[in-house]
Amino acid sequence: MTAPGSNRRALLGRPATFALALGLWFTPIPSGLTSQAWHLFAIFAAAIFSVIVAAFPLLTAAMLAAAAAVLTGTIAPAKAFAGFANGSVLLVVVAFLVASSVVKSGLGRRISFLVVSAFGRSTLGLAYSIFLTDAAIAPAFPSNTARSGVLFPIVLSLAEGAGSTPHDEKKRRVGGYLMFCGMASLAVSSALWLTATSVNPIGVEIARQFGLKIDFGSWLLAASVPALAAALLLPVVLYWLFPPSVRATPDAPAAARAALRSMGPLTRDEKVVAVAFLLMVTGWVTAGTLKLDLTAVAFGGLGALLATSVLTLDDIAQEGGTLATYLWLAVLFAMSGQLNELGFMSYVGGRLSSALEGVAWPAVYVALLVLYVLMHYLFVSQSSQVLALLGVFVDVGLRAGVPTPLMAFALLFASSYFSTITPQGGSQNVIFVGSGYLTQGELYKLGALTTSFCLLVFLLLGTPWLFLVVR
Amino acid sequence: MVSKWLPLAFLLAAGCSGPAVVPPGRPAPGETRTFEGTWSASGSRRTLELDRGHKASILSLTGSLLLTGERGLGVGFQGEAIGFSDSLTGGTGQCVWTDERGDKVFSQIRGQPIGTGSHVTGTITGGTGRYAGVTGEYELRWQYVIETDEGAISGRAVGLRGRVTWPGAGAPRS
Repeated sequence: MTAPGSNRRALLGRPATFALALGLWFTPIPSGLTSQAWHLFAIFAAAIFSVIVAAFPLLTAAMLAAAAAVLTGTIAPAKAFAGFANGSVLLVVVAFLVASSVVKSGLGRRISFLVVSAFGRSTLGLAYSIFLTDAAIAPAFPSNTARSGVLFPIVLSLAEGAGSTPHDEKKRRVGGYLMFCGMASLAVSSALWLTATSVNPIGVEIARQFGLKIDFGSWLLAASVPALAAALLLPVVLYWLFPPSVRATPDAPAAARAALRSMGPLTRDEKVVAVAFLLMVTGWVTAGTLKLDLTAVAFGGLGALLATSVLTLDDIAQEGGTLATYLWLAVLFAMSGQLNELGFMSYVGGRLSSALEGVAWPAVYVALLVLYVLMHYLFVSQSSQVLALLGVFVDVGLRAGVPTPLMAFALLFASSYFSTITPQGGSQNVIFVGSGYLTQGELYKLGALTTSFCLLVFLLLGTPWLFLVVR
Repeated sequence: MVSKWLPLAFLLAAGCSGPAVVPPGRPAPGETRTFEGTWSASGSRRTLELDRGHKASILSLTGSLLLTGERGLGVGFQGEAIGFSDSLTGGTGQCVWTDERGDKVFSQIRGQPIGTGSHVTGTITGGTGRYAGVTGEYELRWQYVIETDEGAISGRAVGLRGRVTWPGAGAPRS
């Protein structure tokens, strides 16, 4: 069912979207860009615009954009559809399917009762349990996408345990709040630990080229104050930005303990899911050392769950939402990658940052950081942005006189916490987005506000802290 | 409301980030101009491990080439290169720079094996459109080159400096 308000927005937004696309397309191409890059930007910008103004859902916008990009000859079909074979995209999809086994088997319910019995006196307590769990497991997980596959079933079970469903307007808010806490937690924990995401070592390698050596300890020391402050404050900030419908549940811990007792021992399916997850987690944690492919590990887990009939083909057939997620994520991933490959990202980054020449270094430092974070509106991959822009921005900062550790660390941390700025800003978000607890408008709004809050915390607390410990 | 308009404002800003710099005017026949700038490029690399640390690789790079100077070669190009890099003998490749009108500048590059700090020289061999018949040379240094486990490669070249000469009146245009 569609609300009259959203119909009105669509009616206004759709012509505006097409006007924007055509307007940009026929605008004279800026010197230094090819027509291909400019036209792809017109299509991509219009697609994102249409989602923000609620003219189209993400899936519709992505499909129209893919068709426009290929049919106008802007990019080759092989490039436009490359996202469908991307390992990170497939990992999200498989993790989604695997997560459903945690709920179906009853293991998720059991875990949620365990969490609620310890933290469940309030919804805020549950949110803190998510941040705590994630921060604790993050240093062992070199992939935050894989970590989202572990965290999501727990968050989903907590939401369902609280009686929250995506389709009940009032009840969905608890789930929506917890889902966004999951996304925000992944963003902050990735900034806290050097080894919490594959993006960080790439950034460290770039920083090394500018003479800054960073190891596990120096990263943790530099990140500790701003990242822990953000982790402490974010559940409260989100609680205020997106108030859950149920807040205080003083009787929930006792009820959860009683429910746990009534559940009895682990069932056969719960045991199978627990073992499968344990093996997958072991595979993901040791992937770097043993040279295991993360997606293949997830495929192995899904295969095992199907082979043991914990999941059936009927269960998979009912996951239509996963297909929708796969389609839009693959298309946007490929399109953003192409914008990067065609030089658009480094062009915009270079132009914006070169405009700062001659400005005092403190202003350059703040401006570069803000621009770097805003640039993530155009990226669907954190590592792509780090590879394309981190070095450019560090270089501009250094030439303006910003101390190397300050500029490099600030941008490195931003490369993690900016992931929530859009639903597609990091592949680890997507599994939470696909749960359906939050509307697209809410995701963009919470994303912008959460990222702005993290930016403020890292600027106001992180900057003096960095001066103190790493200068 | 701010949260909703922030991305829209940024998209607009990104779209308007095109330079206020006016592209250089039409050069006189036989005129030589100098240019300098940077090249941020990313792409892929496939490496063949040979004996005793000897490595050979093929690579493909694309990215934005931003030039400075009001009377240089232009404001910027999309730079695309394919090359072969050998850890013992160095690197060689072909490069195409394409501007906003689709006009191209062709060059051959050679130098040290691609990596952080390596030095590359290029010979401009011709072009299309307004660059038809141009010749020249340039050099650059890779400020950094980063490679991921998946074979993705990214780097930034600084100190890109060169000169280009337009064909004289009556000279054949390739």
